[in-house]
Amino acid sequence: MTALSLSRTDYDVLNAVVVKKMATADAVVAASGVDAAQVSEILAALEGRGLLVVAGDSALPTDEAEPVLMEVAATRYSGVREDADIARLVDRFETTNAQFLTTMSSWQQIDSGGRKVANDHSDPEYDGKVIDRLNKLVARLTPLLDALAGHDARFGRYPERFAIALAAVDAGDHDLVSSPVRDSVHNIWFEFHEDLLRTLGKVRTE
Amino acid sequence: MSSPSTTTPGPGDVADGVFTRRFAEADPADVGWLGGKGAGLARMTQQGLRVPPGYVIGTDACRRYLAERALPAGLDDEVFARLSELERAAGKTFGGGPVPLLLSVRSGAPISMPGMMDTILNLGLNRTAAIALGEATGDARFVADLVTRFHAMYAETVLDATDPGEGIGELVAQVGAGDDPGAVYDRIWDACQRALADDTGDSVPDDPREQLLGAVEAVFRSWNTRRARTYRDHHKIPHDLGTAVVVQSMVFGNLSADSGSGVVFTRNPATGEPGLFGEYLAHSQGEDVVAGTRTPDPVTEALAPAVLDELRVTCADLERSQGDVLDIEFTVERSALYFLQVRSAKRTPEAAVRIAADFLAEGSVAPSKAIRNVSAAQVRQVQRPGFDPDEVEKARAGGRLLTRGIGACPGQVGGALVLDPDRAKAAADAGRDVILARPVTSPADLHGMIASRGIVTATGGSTSHAAVVARALGTACVVGAGEIRVDEAARVLTVGGRTLAEGDEVSLDGATGELFAGRFATSTPAAATGALAALLGIASRASACSVLSRVTLPGDVEPAREAGADGLVTAVDDVLAATGHLDGLVAGLLGASADGFDGIAAMVEAEFTPLLAVAGDLEVGVRAIDLVADEARELLQQTAMTTRHPELSVPLGRPELVRAQLEGLARAVRESGGRARVHLALRHVSDPAEARALRALAGEVGSAVSIGTYLTSPRAAHGAVDIAAASDVVWLEVRTLQAAMFGIPARQLLTAEPLDGYLRRGLLGCDPRTTLDPSVQRLLADVAAAADTAGRRVGMRLSGEVSEAVAAQLYALGFRRFAVDAAETRPVVLALGKAALAA
Repeated sequence: MTALSLSRTDYDVLNAVVVKKMATADAVVAASGVDAAQVSEILAALEGRGLLVVAGDSALPTDEAEPVLMEVAATRYSGVREDADIARLVDRFETTNAQFLTTMSSWQQIDSGGRKVANDHSDPEYDGKVIDRLNKLVARLTPLLDALAGHDARFGRYPERFAIALAAVDAGDHDLVSSPVRDSVHNIWFEFHEDLLRTLGKVRTE
Repeated sequence: MSSPSTTTPGPGDVADGVFTRRFAEADPADVGWLGGKGAGLARMTQQGLRVPPGYVIGTDACRRYLAERALPAGLDDEVFARLSELERAAGKTFGGGPVPLLLSVRSGAPISMPGMMDTILNLGLNRTAAIALGEATGDARFVADLVTRFHAMYAETVLDATDPGEGIGELVAQVGAGDDPGAVYDRIWDACQRALADDTGDSVPDDPREQLLGAVEAVFRSWNTRRARTYRDHHKIPHDLGTAVVVQSMVFGNLSADSGSGVVFTRNPATGEPGLFGEYLAHSQGEDVVAGTRTPDPVTEALAPAVLDELRVTCADLERSQGDVLDIEFTVERSALYFLQVRSAKRTPEAAVRIAADFLAEGSVAPSKAIRNVSAAQVRQVQRPGFDPDEVEKARAGGRLLTRGIGACPGQVGGALVLDPDRAKAAADAGRDVILARPVTSPADLHGMIASRGIVTATGGSTSHAAVVARALGTACVVGAGEIRVDEAARVLTVGGRTLAEGDEVSLDGATGELFAGRFATSTPAAATGALAALLGIASRASACSVLSRVTLPGDVEPAREAGADGLVTAVDDVLAATGHLDGLVAGLLGASADGFDGIAAMVEAEFTPLLAVAGDLEVGVRAIDLVADEARELLQQTAMTTRHPELSVPLGRPELVRAQLEGLARAVRESGGRARVHLALRHVSDPAEARALRALAGEVGSAVSIGTYLTSPRAAHGAVDIAAASDVVWLEVRTLQAAMFGIPARQLLTAEPLDGYLRRGLLGCDPRTTLDPSVQRLLADVAAAADTAGRRVGMRLSGEVSEAVAAQLYALGFRRFAVDAAETRPVVLALGKAALAA
């Protein structure tokens, strides 16, 4: 059966492709932590099994990919799903996630007299506060990410990616706050959320 | 405004501190010592605004702390002496009753940087103070809330707890307003301390003085957080600058019925309408307004007359002196009006335009200041075509309104409904306008979202994935349209009993959240022709520049005129392509026979006659067919053409081609009534000899068409003086010249990549899309001089979106004549006006 023969690294690579939908080999390496030398080989093998297609320099998942991941996740992460410590941290994540989304909106729009106005980023103090808040919220993910990494080391990639994005933001590359096309704080957070839900066997509502 | 007595020194006050200065006495210009925030508060205080009193611990103290790794000797005594002053000034007691003094402690570096400690509010709460506050406000619930927030803030900022206050919210919710404040304090404080002990092993000090010193030290410590150090390294800010600490007394809007808090804008930030706009909530703290637990009232109705008068006068004074609309946070404490924060108000693009126009009409603000707060980007927003309002009204009445969700990103767009991101991308790639409808979006939908003109989702709020991504992309978006059901398998969307199939036309309004069946005609919004026209009129007079708009079809002329164009530019190849003569043109050129050229002359005559007729007496600059233009590579089969006829690659390689265009244009001028002032400009001219040959050719034709040279190369710019002497009109294309200087294809200056990534890697010191390179500036300085000596008008051709910086640079070089894409007319008129008024 397809699902059962998905190795750990196969899962990690396919998972990266599914959350990104269109991913270059480099992006898969960065997100999965799988060795660059292995990734192209695994992508080719997954393509051979009809789980993804490689178009140009990007891999795209087929419709079969997500159900297979879900099935594998059910066994691979049964330990995570039964971990009471993680369940408690996931409860807290719901709050943090809501705060994150609000903060991300405040990066893009400012409430002015009851109307939302696009943030033109002309107020460094305002932007600085939002970035501080994002740093705090990412720091609040640490216990959950650490706990998950205790079950599966690949979750350790998220803190590294967050650190890179946040350091670049501090260095003035503000595009990395919410850019949908780069490894921005928003993208990393969202990929983590998708990944977390699949790991836990849940479905996203918003 | 009289200076409030609370800020002047009283008996027993410390005269001159070693480490500290009062807001009332500090020199606001000494930002290096006071930091940015401290300087701001000193300025506000000394302007006569009633600011809650406070003082600044200067950057000296921080530098000593960093050197000695301990609070400098004597600082604590001085801090406590200032504290006594604040107590006397406010008539309140730190850590006691009857009315407790609470403080805010903030960092304030001379340059703001990330990672610094932000703010601790409500510092000074102990059991005695909490009980006193409970009795003064009669609200134990308020006390519970304040204790929780203070504890969490202190734990997070001073003690580095990551997520304090977990579970305390439920405890606070159980507190009633009439509960015993002492018991409430004990319950909440102990719970907070226990949670913190479990988390970090720390505790927040009970003693308010210890809290104060702890907060001051935390500010100093935060100077050396990893983020702050990285930022300073990156921006080459010295590590020994140090930060100041701002200590300020807090005021309370919930002490009495004649207390309250509010936010006021000096004008409506959504519409720009004059008059105070804001909300006030009596007997409340600012947080109540934000939390939305009680509904505030309009300031103009809820404030006591004396306070409202004071607010009005102050707002008018501030608005006039700052020349800007302001957003002001205030608190009324027992009928005394305190100003907490004054900053430039964030506003909609429509409001920005109206405010500037009104300021100019009122004459109260200098034009240079009034226009400063409108950006070219806002003008682009305001002039963006929207749905025809009459049609929308009819659609609402006629049942075409399908549903209303939450407007997440403004914009009025229409297109074919598509329910899947892959198909959305495919349809958009095929040239269709797409509206993507999804139950919910995820990162996996991104390619479809990028391809779509509008996005609608059934679930999610204004912070959902769809909303965040749409705003990042600037794509119109409606979220949380809960009535829609997306059936992905059947490829239909149902809403309110109606079923729409994929491919059906829909329209959405990202501001109102409305989704309509069918499409709407679009029109220029009224705002773009009313207040904006008035504003641009002033900008235009100030800069005394002429701005010509690029048009192609007769229908483009009226909108260009409406946008304020002083003339028109167009191109023979563009006009022939847009009127369906592309094949004829290519055949004529490939043949390159006498018949072929006659055909081209006839086409030019036929298609320019209606255009020139509509242009009336406007100046019309016509660019000749350019076979090596970057943008014509595919259109004109460039490779085939220049392989077969290499002479077509140089401006006058085939004089017959130029002659045909001159003849065609001359006939069109006659046919159209002879009012238009027309010139034919030849691109890529780089030598005066070419200009002279062009003039001779025009002489042979004997037409009323003047001749223009159109420079694109560094050589041409270098020799502009002599070329200008032989031309009637000279144009210089800025983007092409920049590209040539960088050695990058000119088309790469119109796209995000590859330059975004390249600049991020620090491989270019100048972004040629938004700034003139110094090498180009030097060349252009010569060109500007050419305009002076020869009396020729050298115009700047700008393609794509024009940055305000480039407009200002060209203005400063002395250029006064520009030709831009039609949609850029208004933004460029504004940018030039700003440049002129700022000079």
